[in-house]
Amino acid sequence: MDRRSFLRTSAVLASGLAALAASLSPLRKLDDYVSLERFVQKYYKELTPEEMKQVLKRIENEVERQYGIRPHVRDLKPMDGVEYVYALNLTRCIGCRKCVHACVQENNLSRTPEIQYIRVLKMPHGSLDVEKGEHNYAPESVPEKGFFYMPVQCQQCKNPPCVKVCPVHATWQETDGITVVDYDWCIGCRYCEAACPYWARRFNFTQPSIPKERINPDMAYLGNRPRRQGVMEKCHFCIQRTRVGRYPACLEVCPAGARKFGNILDPNSEVSYILRTKRVFIQLKEELGTSPRFFYYFDT
Amino acid sequence: MDQPSAEDDQRGLPTGYQQRPHRMNSRFKATLVLRGLVVLFVGLAAAFLLNLWGRPAPLHPIPLVDPAFLDTATVRRSYADLVRAKEDLSDFDCYACHEKNKPPVLRYDEHQNLLIPREHSDIVMGHGQHGRNNNCFNCHNETNLELLQTRDGRQVKFADSSQLCGSCHGPTYEDWEVGAHGRISGYWNRSRGPIKRQDCVNCHNPHAPPFPSRPPAPGPHLLHELAEAPVPAATAH
Amino acid sequence: MTRALRDYLVFLRRCGRIAFVGDWRYYLWMGVLTVFCLLGLNAYAKQLVNGLITTGMSDQVSWGVYIANFTFLVGVAAAAVMMVIPVYIYDNEELHDLVIFGELLAVAAILMCLAFVTVDLGRPDRFWHLIPGLGQLNFPASMLSWDVIVLNGYLLLNVHICGYLLYCRYRDMKPSQWFYIPFVFVAIGWAVSIHTVTAFLYVGLGGRPFWNSSIVGPRFIASAFTAGPALIILALQIIRRVTEYHITDRALLTLRGIVQVSMLINVFLLVNEVFKEFYTGNSVASSQYLYVGLHGYHALVPWIWTAITFNLVAMFLLVLPLSRSLKWLNLTCVLCIVGIWIEKGMGLVIPGFIPTPLGQIVEYRPSLNETLICVGIWAFGLLSYTVFLRMSVPILQGRLAKTNESLPDPGMDGAPASLAAKP
Repeated sequence: MDRRSFLRTSAVLASGLAALAASLSPLRKLDDYVSLERFVQKYYKELTPEEMKQVLKRIENEVERQYGIRPHVRDLKPMDGVEYVYALNLTRCIGCRKCVHACVQENNLSRTPEIQYIRVLKMPHGSLDVEKGEHNYAPESVPEKGFFYMPVQCQQCKNPPCVKVCPVHATWQETDGITVVDYDWCIGCRYCEAACPYWARRFNFTQPSIPKERINPDMAYLGNRPRRQGVMEKCHFCIQRTRVGRYPACLEVCPAGARKFGNILDPNSEVSYILRTKRVFIQLKEELGTSPRFFYYFDT
Repeated sequence: MDQPSAEDDQRGLPTGYQQRPHRMNSRFKATLVLRGLVVLFVGLAAAFLLNLWGRPAPLHPIPLVDPAFLDTATVRRSYADLVRAKEDLSDFDCYACHEKNKPPVLRYDEHQNLLIPREHSDIVMGHGQHGRNNNCFNCHNETNLELLQTRDGRQVKFADSSQLCGSCHGPTYEDWEVGAHGRISGYWNRSRGPIKRQDCVNCHNPHAPPFPSRPPAPGPHLLHELAEAPVPAATAH
Repeated sequence: MTRALRDYLVFLRRCGRIAFVGDWRYYLWMGVLTVFCLLGLNAYAKQLVNGLITTGMSDQVSWGVYIANFTFLVGVAAAAVMMVIPVYIYDNEELHDLVIFGELLAVAAILMCLAFVTVDLGRPDRFWHLIPGLGQLNFPASMLSWDVIVLNGYLLLNVHICGYLLYCRYRDMKPSQWFYIPFVFVAIGWAVSIHTVTAFLYVGLGGRPFWNSSIVGPRFIASAFTAGPALIILALQIIRRVTEYHITDRALLTLRGIVQVSMLINVFLLVNEVFKEFYTGNSVASSQYLYVGLHGYHALVPWIWTAITFNLVAMFLLVLPLSRSLKWLNLTCVLCIVGIWIEKGMGLVIPGFIPTPLGQIVEYRPSLNETLICVGIWAFGLLSYTVFLRMSVPILQGRLAKTNESLPDPGMDGAPASLAAKP
């Protein structure tokens, strides 16, 4: 190769490499990916108790650094002999959406962009076809004549399609019936979001933002600890509350008492009583065979 | 890079190649293309560094929801609640105005509608249909206004008003007792902590029981509308 | 042993070098593709930093043009087998050497598929969670885990077959039957499986009635075997034009036969689907949205009818003797490719999300950044295919061979013997 063509080749190569380097220049701002600790973090089910302790501490430090609030992050395990069931009384629900926002507050959901686990549908009397539902209703006051309201959130299916399709086991069903997500294991393929017949899963399309003053510091690993960009999340029946015996936040805020929750294996629980005594209860899209643990019912 | 010339061309030729007239032309074009590419790459690098396009539009923040929507307080407060909170109970001090041992007299208009005295103008009579409860003393004890009474004559204290409701609304009362009707809070797991049930009158106005309507909390926002226009501040009504 | 290794390394080095030399047209083509690649890379860097919010996707429409292109390209990759079958099963001599070009196209298409899946991931840094042993591959429950396996397996199979045949030709030795014929037959089955598995990715979702239909799988295969060979016809015509490699008209017409039959089946299946959806009057809302619009939303309607028109016109051209003329055949192939690209991309993936399972209608429009990434990946694919051809054509012609190892490589120093020196 002679000198001139060598120069020519190197000029093209050099400018090409310069353009290549410049094209990657936005990566300068990439601080979310750089932590080696996070990169090599193990799968939830493979963490030893000792490692879990370390991870929880690391998460507490990260939250404190990011939000200036020291949280208390716990790894809560399912209780023995407990299977959670939710029952929602469609006769009582007035469509006020308080559950939506209480959930956002309890579970540290992103405010901008907005992530909400509960979607309330305004439905015309006489039909349970969700395609007739209105999502953006904003009247002066609710309820409105001729309509009923149907809040939809994760139905905690017994046969969850989202768990089946996840390519990396990042989402699974716990023994108490709650389907959880390991936010540090999810690869963000959104196959579960496509698979869910209830539109119950949410994706972090960008870094979530929560104002400092609205952080809930009582956190659980599989529950409401802050998520990062690029992973899925979903309703987990407020694991940080229910696994210490409390009611979920959406239930406690409901002004109409339309929401009922409890252990179906306990015959004295409210939900056992409801499923025993109410004549009709509905599993949404029952024909799909997902077998939800979330029941809708009507009474007088 | 310098201009290609016929001489250069010959020098650059590998052995075994016959020089053909169109080769020079093609070689000149190759040089031209490569130079063009150098310029293009440099321009591209500059454009990348200046971040000329594809900058994500800033998201307009969604106004935080009014904390009123996060409040877990009940719609109304029962007598028992007021006692517990040691608040003003003057509303229940009947004999501040009424005379003891003298049952109040009810007055009706020509349609047999109860005429509500000015002192009680805040009361809306709306319990049941067809004026079935068009009579204060279906529930209040006319001889002792500080007590309630069921239709079968049992005396009930204001603090136990739910029992009065249950005397007519049996099935609902049954549901309420197990926690299936009405609001509850606290612990589903009774071994971990107590459950708190609300009295009927925490949600229902005994004189007009249907659950009151209220303004709904703000509805959902779409992901991509946030980049387009600011979100109007939600009114808490 | 060391000698064999040395020979192989020399082979790789010579292949690598030849990819960087050519005439001005080659430089222009590769340069322009590189520019598009860089544009795509830059856009991807922005997406990595800011998240998938830089795309037009949302929780309502959670897959977009990335997965649409992925789906289309899996079909293209699978269709390479349509050239292999005539050669190895029916001993069609016309297509014998051309099989390599088809399989190289499959390799390029799979590379593009992998790129499209990667850019769709929210956390590409966690790709290792998919590696069995290291991560937690959910096999066999998740169809996506099947897809990971079949796509990578198909890539390896084709790289092996092409690489082995080309290296044998380079060394001028007869390929050992045992070393590649079994793989060819595995690849035939495998090709059908990659597209079937990709179809099952959608069919397996009970909550999406638009996809949860048994006709989706057959339609995938039919459309793939139309668009894939059509793309190969165009590629072969370009090879014939810019290199000295001899490709007979009969070979192209054999491929035309394949496209013809596949297109007829494809249109037949389409008619089946449209009939079922609309005759009984209980059509799935997504189908309504796609074909006629729903509640005033109809962004996809012009697209799907364009696709259907293209498919129908292509079908008529294919059954007419007119398309025996290569000019008309080219037009037909373009119509097939564009038609099926729209149908398998915009027409299959997007409407599955509209309306959402809760009945909400949110439309989808790819963003500029998203489009740049797609363009970048397509440019990367074309770049790869061009490089593969740049290496394989001189080998198949015998001009890049072990025997001329000591001579300067053909096409060195701006004297691109294979590309420009057409007399």
